[in-house]
Amino acid sequence: MRKRWISLLLAAAVTVTALAGCAGDTAEDQSAVQQRIENSSVVIAMDPNSEPEAGFDPAYGWGAGEHVHEPLIQSTLTVTNTDLTIGYDLATDYTVSEDGLTWTVTIRDDVKFTDGEPLTAEDVAFTYNTVKESSSVNDFTMLDYAESSDDTTVVFHMTRPFSIWPYTMAIVGIVPENAYDSATYGSNPIGSGRYILKQWDRGQQVILEANPDYYGDAPEMEQVTILFMEEDAAFLAVQAGEVDLAYTSATYSDQEVEGYSLASYASVDNRGFNLPAVEETTDSEGRTVGNDFTADVLVRRAINIGIDRQEMIDNVLNGYGSPAYSVCDQLPWYNEASEVSYNPEGAAALLDEAGWTVGDDGIREKDGVKAELNLLYSTGDSVRQALAADFADQLGVLGISCTLEGVGWDTAYDRALSDPLIWGWGAHTPMELYNIYHTIEGTDSAEYSPYSNSTVDEYMDQALACGDLEESYRLWQQAQWDGTDGVTQDGDIPWVWLVNIDHLYWVRDGLTVAEQKIHPHGHGWSIVNNVDQWSWKG
Amino acid sequence: MRSARILDKGIKSRTIRKRRREEKDTNRRLQTILFLVAAIVILTAVTVAGVMTEGYAAETDFSRRNLAPDLQHPFGTDWMGRDMLARTLAGLSLSIRIGVLTAAVSAAVALLLGTASVVFGRKADAVISWCIDLVMGIPHILLVMLISLACGRGFAGVVAGVSLSHWPSLARVIRGELIQLRQAPYILAAEKMGVSKLQNIRRHMLPHLLPQFLTGLILLFPHAILHESSVTFLGFGLSSEQPAIGVILSESMQYLTTGKWWLALFPGAALVIVVILFAMLGERVRRLLDPSSVHE
Repeated sequence: MRKRWISLLLAAAVTVTALAGCAGDTAEDQSAVQQRIENSSVVIAMDPNSEPEAGFDPAYGWGAGEHVHEPLIQSTLTVTNTDLTIGYDLATDYTVSEDGLTWTVTIRDDVKFTDGEPLTAEDVAFTYNTVKESSSVNDFTMLDYAESSDDTTVVFHMTRPFSIWPYTMAIVGIVPENAYDSATYGSNPIGSGRYILKQWDRGQQVILEANPDYYGDAPEMEQVTILFMEEDAAFLAVQAGEVDLAYTSATYSDQEVEGYSLASYASVDNRGFNLPAVEETTDSEGRTVGNDFTADVLVRRAINIGIDRQEMIDNVLNGYGSPAYSVCDQLPWYNEASEVSYNPEGAAALLDEAGWTVGDDGIREKDGVKAELNLLYSTGDSVRQALAADFADQLGVLGISCTLEGVGWDTAYDRALSDPLIWGWGAHTPMELYNIYHTIEGTDSAEYSPYSNSTVDEYMDQALACGDLEESYRLWQQAQWDGTDGVTQDGDIPWVWLVNIDHLYWVRDGLTVAEQKIHPHGHGWSIVNNVDQWSWKG
Repeated sequence: MRSARILDKGIKSRTIRKRRREEKDTNRRLQTILFLVAAIVILTAVTVAGVMTEGYAAETDFSRRNLAPDLQHPFGTDWMGRDMLARTLAGLSLSIRIGVLTAAVSAAVALLLGTASVVFGRKADAVISWCIDLVMGIPHILLVMLISLACGRGFAGVVAGVSLSHWPSLARVIRGELIQLRQAPYILAAEKMGVSKLQNIRRHMLPHLLPQFLTGLILLFPHAILHESSVTFLGFGLSSEQPAIGVILSESMQYLTTGKWWLALFPGAALVIVVILFAMLGERVRRLLDPSSVHE
């Protein structure tokens, strides 16, 4: 009995101290935030997937790949402006030869790496040659080699014309030739960018500090701490007041947290289905390619206008999204002819015209075959699953019976050749149009979904060969729709685009986040592209 | 006279006590049987209901997203407006059916191996015990994952993984019993009279084994069900549109921090109840069949 009393007393004592500790924590948190405001530092919660596995080495994907963003620690030759046109960082000017095979870029002469060495054209050439050799994330096959002609001029020799080279130059961070060691650079990067890597605790956090010798405007934020957390942990950290900005998703958007507001940034982080545009066959590797139902262009058109995108956004994204009509909505190379309005009657008429008439059970039939689709999504992705489910519900209303199937990425690419898969794209380069719609050389189909149109191919080839960026935008637009041919509603519509997902963040009151460019696919480092311009109010 | 009365009284009280005990006995037996029937009815009902609601469980309706439990949806709805009661039933049903399959496979394997180690003598027995030890030596959940990955993941993978990994414990019990029985006098006598080994096993050993065998079989269910749900919870098994308890629970984790408690509570509780039911079922069956406890 006595023992029990003692243990009870002890338990009570522990509870009291714990509670007292909590109370102390809150006060400490308050003062920690005050401290951060005075020191101009900010704490950001990011998705654990955003942590660069191979470190901060541009040769191993830092800044590049699917989740393009500014490398912060390194400088780049060019940058993308808020409207996604090209601006200058290290470069002062660039020219391209008539045949498109030689790019000459002049760079600033007043830039120093953080180890005190000046940044010269040789470092630039070294970086590009290294990246070409080792990058597994980005395609550098268009670059033959880079060389410096003097201290401030670098010349790129191309293997083929590539008009959108400035967009590639915007993501390659320049590394110092003398201090670069591919084994250690990732964890000890030396750059000339706005920030210096102060500390990196793998799996936990990255601390960046402003570069005191930065050649541009001095960063307003002196210190940036990035914590890697799962979505629910990030939300709890916001509730506990531990972070100043945290990524979140539509799941949490109906919550309210005192002292924080929800910020929503537009993106081209789109989701869409590929609709295989050829009849079903088996290819040489034994894979099923094509889909008899979606092979009919009328069916694909019916699906494109038979989908109420706004309803999807309200249902699945809690309203935080915008309708998507192409892979590159609102970017300079976007063709507005892609836009369609929701028209269920028109869709029904198109299906009727294609010979798919409504049967007794409400499902359309043609020659005794039911209108059926098996929709694929990457298993475990709840947003894609919900979008696919909503898409299936809406097609059901049109009389197309759908089943859902979750697949892993190990099999998804092959499966998507015959069944529609929900994809996510959205990059700051027109190359994405090429990757999706252009026929692969030596085959008769584009890469991800069976489709091929020589007119579309030709426009994109011309766009890449074209000497002038502005002119190339026009050609990219024509590849989408030139008035008679293309990949839009009146054209072949081999992909149907559904929504662009707004990127959501919890932002502490008083923190001003600088204007964001349209975010690309990744919901990660993009937000801190301009963290140097963020500020605390008051 | 006096002593006779006392004796008489003693006898009387003893008979009364005996009768009382008999009454209690029949009650216990009756209770156990009633419990067994009730448990079996409940589990069968869940299985059948799950099969019947499978279509409805997958039905999404975005107009009724994230509803807290009410009369129309007693378990609430999830973020795609699916009815959680139907999903829970479908998930449990799937788990139980996988459990049945596991039990069948394990029973067959255990019997076969047990018999083989008796019939084919020492060397075969050594090989079989080695196999059992080997499989038991690998952590169970890991083994389930390995087999399901090797069998191509998905539904087939999970079924194969769970059903092919639960036999060793039962096989070991059966083997042990059979080897012990081999030396029993009545078996030796039968052997001397020229009864063949197989016939001996079938006629004299198996009936003796039945209680242990049945109990072991039923006690496999909770294991199989828990392993199935943990493998799907970890994401190695079924894809997310399929109704499985593990899938439901791992999805609900995302929503716990936003206060949607019903997504985890009801399916989790239902899983626990089913597992407990099976465990109690096995325990009661053992008491009913085991000669040493049947008269308790």
